[in-house]
Amino acid sequence: MSPNALIITGDGINCEEETAFALSQAGAQCQILHINQLIAHPGQLSDAQILALPGGFSFGDEVSSGKILALKLQQQLGELLQTFISEDKLVIGICNGFQALVKLGILPRSDAKTQQVTLTHNRQKRFINRWVTVQANPDTLFFKGLSEFMLPIRHGEGRLIVPEDTPIAAHIGLTYTDDVNGSHQQIAGLINERGNVLGLMPHPEAFVRWTQHPAWTSMTPEERQSTPPGLQIFQNMVSAVRNGQSDTPLSTAGTPERSAV
Amino acid sequence: MSHAETVSRDTHTLTDPPSAASSLIYRVDVVPKNPDQADTVDLPGVGPVPCYPVYWFSSPVPIDSILDTLARQALIDPVVQTYHLSQADTAQWLDLSTWPQPIDWIMEQQFLPGVTDNLATTVGKSLSLLFSDQALPAISVASGTVYLVPKTSFSPDALYQQAQYQLFNPLVQRLSVYPASQWQAHATSRFGFPHVMAPQVPPVDVIPLDVNDADLLALSQQRHLALTLDEMKVIQTYYQAPSTQQARKAKGLSLWPTDVELEIIAQTWSEHCKHKIFAAKITYTDASDPDYPRVTQIDSLFKTYIAGATKKLMPTRPDLLSVFKDNAGVVQWNDTTAVCFKVETHNSPSALEPYGGALTGIVGVNRDILGTGMGAKPLFNTDVFCFAHPEKPYVQRPKMLPPEAILKGVRKGVEDGGNKSGIPTVNGALVFDQRYRAKPLVFCGTGGLLPLKVPQGLGYEKYTQPGDTIVMAGGRVGKDGIHGATFSSEALHEGSPVSAVQIGDPLTQKRLSDFLMAARDQGLITGLTDNGAGGLSSSVGEMAQETNGALLNLEQIPLKYPGLAPYEMVISESQERMTLSTNRIDDLLKLAAQYDVELSAIGHFHDQGTFDIQYNGTLVGSLDLAFLHNGLPQMELEAVWEVQKLPTIYARAPRSATPVLLKMLSHPNVCSRESLIRQYDHEVQGRSVIKPLMGPLQTGPSDAAVIQPILGEAQGLVVSNGICPHFSDWDPYHMAANAVDEAIRNAVAVGADPASMVLLDNFCWPDPVASPRNYDGRLKLAQLVRANQALYETAVTYGAPFISGKDSMKNDFDDGTYRLSIVPTLLISAMGKLPDIEKAVSMDFKRPGDVILMAGQTNVHMGGSLYYLVKGWYSRYCPHVKPHLAKALYQATFECIQQGLIRSCHDLSDGGLGIALAESALASPYGADISLDPILNDSPELRWDEALFSESPSRFVMSVAPEHVDAVKAAFQDIPLMVLGTVTADGAFTIHQHQKTVVRTDVSTLRKAWQTAPATCYNTEEPA
Repeated sequence: MSPNALIITGDGINCEEETAFALSQAGAQCQILHINQLIAHPGQLSDAQILALPGGFSFGDEVSSGKILALKLQQQLGELLQTFISEDKLVIGICNGFQALVKLGILPRSDAKTQQVTLTHNRQKRFINRWVTVQANPDTLFFKGLSEFMLPIRHGEGRLIVPEDTPIAAHIGLTYTDDVNGSHQQIAGLINERGNVLGLMPHPEAFVRWTQHPAWTSMTPEERQSTPPGLQIFQNMVSAVRNGQSDTPLSTAGTPERSAV
Repeated sequence: MSHAETVSRDTHTLTDPPSAASSLIYRVDVVPKNPDQADTVDLPGVGPVPCYPVYWFSSPVPIDSILDTLARQALIDPVVQTYHLSQADTAQWLDLSTWPQPIDWIMEQQFLPGVTDNLATTVGKSLSLLFSDQALPAISVASGTVYLVPKTSFSPDALYQQAQYQLFNPLVQRLSVYPASQWQAHATSRFGFPHVMAPQVPPVDVIPLDVNDADLLALSQQRHLALTLDEMKVIQTYYQAPSTQQARKAKGLSLWPTDVELEIIAQTWSEHCKHKIFAAKITYTDASDPDYPRVTQIDSLFKTYIAGATKKLMPTRPDLLSVFKDNAGVVQWNDTTAVCFKVETHNSPSALEPYGGALTGIVGVNRDILGTGMGAKPLFNTDVFCFAHPEKPYVQRPKMLPPEAILKGVRKGVEDGGNKSGIPTVNGALVFDQRYRAKPLVFCGTGGLLPLKVPQGLGYEKYTQPGDTIVMAGGRVGKDGIHGATFSSEALHEGSPVSAVQIGDPLTQKRLSDFLMAARDQGLITGLTDNGAGGLSSSVGEMAQETNGALLNLEQIPLKYPGLAPYEMVISESQERMTLSTNRIDDLLKLAAQYDVELSAIGHFHDQGTFDIQYNGTLVGSLDLAFLHNGLPQMELEAVWEVQKLPTIYARAPRSATPVLLKMLSHPNVCSRESLIRQYDHEVQGRSVIKPLMGPLQTGPSDAAVIQPILGEAQGLVVSNGICPHFSDWDPYHMAANAVDEAIRNAVAVGADPASMVLLDNFCWPDPVASPRNYDGRLKLAQLVRANQALYETAVTYGAPFISGKDSMKNDFDDGTYRLSIVPTLLISAMGKLPDIEKAVSMDFKRPGDVILMAGQTNVHMGGSLYYLVKGWYSRYCPHVKPHLAKALYQATFECIQQGLIRSCHDLSDGGLGIALAESALASPYGADISLDPILNDSPELRWDEALFSESPSRFVMSVAPEHVDAVKAAFQDIPLMVLGTVTADGAFTIHQHQKTVVRTDVSTLRKAWQTAPATCYNTEEPA
């Protein structure tokens, strides 16, 4: 049984292909869908068990990152997204997708219906592309079997700001082991109260083969045997759907199809 | 209020249009909830200056509640920001007295009317998202920044000067400075809305050419046509010909050209588009031996040497699918896919507006890829810059931007151009030489992926037919970039046109790019090309050659604002536009609407042999395509080569080379580029295999990039470059041969198959046409001839054909009293295949105990070397390439890498063996113990410091597991290969010669020297 995954693109999103590739490697049946197509035919959302908001520069990161994409999603798909989440289907927002989920008010709490925290300019005031070490919470669906590993960050606005009275501890899914961008409590990823929505700044879809690691040429073939941690996250999502939703029809995973809009 | 208190210099004379006078102007200040957490910018001499975004809105009717909703839902981040909405002149102003630090001055910055404002466009989009269910009035949006300047001793004039090029560029933005005390009352100092004036559309002019030579030339200069007198006379003769006049009478056209026609001819015949110098007949005199000068006639450098090399290699390279004819060279990748590659320069725009220049350079070359064949998907960017160093003494002239401003602007342009487009910047180079004050060089390259088959046939061909609709897709047309092509064909001077400057919009282009891929796959287009230099005049003019004719209807071109003259619509270089041909316009329009892409049918292709232009139904131009494309007479030029007389100065070898090695590591041309690289996304698309910085510390400077073009497949694509302009001072022949060798050797170092290499040439030359202001033009042309001769020799020997190239031939600064030329510069970009990405090799040492070898022959090649530069020494001999030896060495290296025998491989370039060893060590936790004796024994004429720092080409430093050394030696047979030492576990880095230790340091000292270079201009922040 392969879960159906919908990968949103358009309006400056640009990591849709590798995100679909990662999900299909993990066993999902993937469809890359232009956001305007989803708005025109919102019923497609109900056929999916996984929704991915990939990285990119939606609306050119103008005003602030993820802000206008969040506005568009809220105006045109808001209630459907809430339904999707309330049905315990899985959502992953990566980088710009995470920023959009935060600005939509879906993270940290999905039921708050208002923006609670924010992601803004890095402490260094600039874009950073480097691999960093992260610590995952293995008691979550997404990070099962994972603890400390490396992933690349590629963002200019990844510093999480949490107002004093906003409880955050229960939502921490992923932290940086070093202070890479000034983020509150070195938080790299948040999970909602139901445990089915993950938003994270690092890019798991960019670590689905060992030859993506900056030090892979220093590793022995044996050291490169295990599942790359980025791929593991997507496999965990696929397993969770398989274990939880056995009544979904069977289909074969394969190369992601780019849907004709 | 005296003039001294308020400074606002508006270089444009545009004023509000009559209709704007009656519109209501609103403004929204978006301020931090906690002023302590305001964003700040560092203004030199002033310190951190808090700033916040401001928006202006213009509407014919009141929109208070609309803007209130907009501000609340779209403009602010409710967690950290709040806003203040006001209507010009009437409202209560935002209270700044609560700010913690006293504010002395307020500076407001906004874009000049008509300049691309991407933030404002997005805000406009937010309005339509928020109010999708109601009809909105016509609201215009502009964006800007408010700076709150703390207590300072600066006068407003000084503040303005200080902010110029730091916070704004007067070519695209304006800044108002006024005292904070007048914040509440000072409405006149604040900007209103930057409306573009909308005068009557200027009529089409007829330009009589029955004037004397001086007036012809004056006409060319006044209109920025950049045509020579000879070229103007060719046009004059053409229009005087009875056959031309008869044809024009029949069509009801004026006998003399319209301004539309003359401008199209000038664009098409510009050096930028026509490469007149590379196509010229050249009489080349080699006077190396003054007593026996040898004279050669060359009929086109391009045909003889560049295309000549490719033609010669063609029979051995069936993978070459399309070379020199399309927007990029196309090479077969596998059974279903091709790859294409193009490199452009964007020097002149970057000299005036570095941010916009670099940004449009990148999105421009991306469009070349989108416009290759039936449309390719961009895979990677590669960027190479040549600048004057900001910390060295540099020439200052009024028209020259400070080098620091150029560096900062270009860096930001590359970030936005690459990152926002979702195209990884995988590779690059940065070269400093003070002669690049004449013009900074900005090379932008992009590679793409193209299906071999599309619904119409082959993906790398075009299928435009007579009757197909001409479609303009993407952005709208404004006054931006008018005369870009002709302007780049002139020296920079005081009167360089302001309208030549443009800013890009990566979001619009990303939407366009997504749309084009879908249109291609659905078979909705029959051909396409990009709108770059020359705008529609070039794109339609070129596509018209496919069918032998085109008709353009100017009134159907969507404009950014009214008031463009017909000729401006045709030659405008407004960004983000592609020209398509289609026979399914209705389906194409539907698809475009789904992708939020603006599409307009603006004419059709025909087969009548003319390029016709109509405006509101009246014919305003009709150009014979044969004359337009082939009417330009071949230039005839003279080149004279004399050997450069260079001194020989050097002293004894130092006792220890440790200090000089550390100094060389921190030299601007060697030191770490990490702070730049980290700001470019080099991994998006998930294809990266060898990144710009590799190793356990993510510090090792890779020789080349490797990507996996098709996710999940084994075959890797290698991208590299070679650039060594400093050897031009000796002989551009050797400069060019070294550049080719460097590009190929960088690719081979990471594992590329040398038999798969293809090359791109990008020449950036000082004007090689002699004139009274350019007395040594004949030498510069001879330098160009010699560089071309070297390209032919090396490319043919290496078996690496050229598939694409470009030249920029006027890289001089001349303001009438001062003339400066760049050093003749050639960038060679290379692309090759790696059979299996798992076999790729990086340059960092891998294991203690591994054996360090050097492959290649070391000679006394000290001229132009970094060692001599740092020492202040001179030599008459610069590095010479031996292509046959190099070819065998590269093949042996490739075979060893394929067999998994090589743990690390690093090429020797600036700083020779010493720098290569240091870099391989500092990229790892390990040191090295090295003996120079094998080199000295092999070449007794070498001094030990020459052995360590010679820049002989075609060499590698490798580390090999001890058990594999014999196998590597066997593979190299009689190719020079020497065992120099071992990788050490303790990090000690020592080099010996004949029982003496000449370098003794450790890897962390080397790393520190390399990473903390004096080039602070691009180390703007502490590393992440």
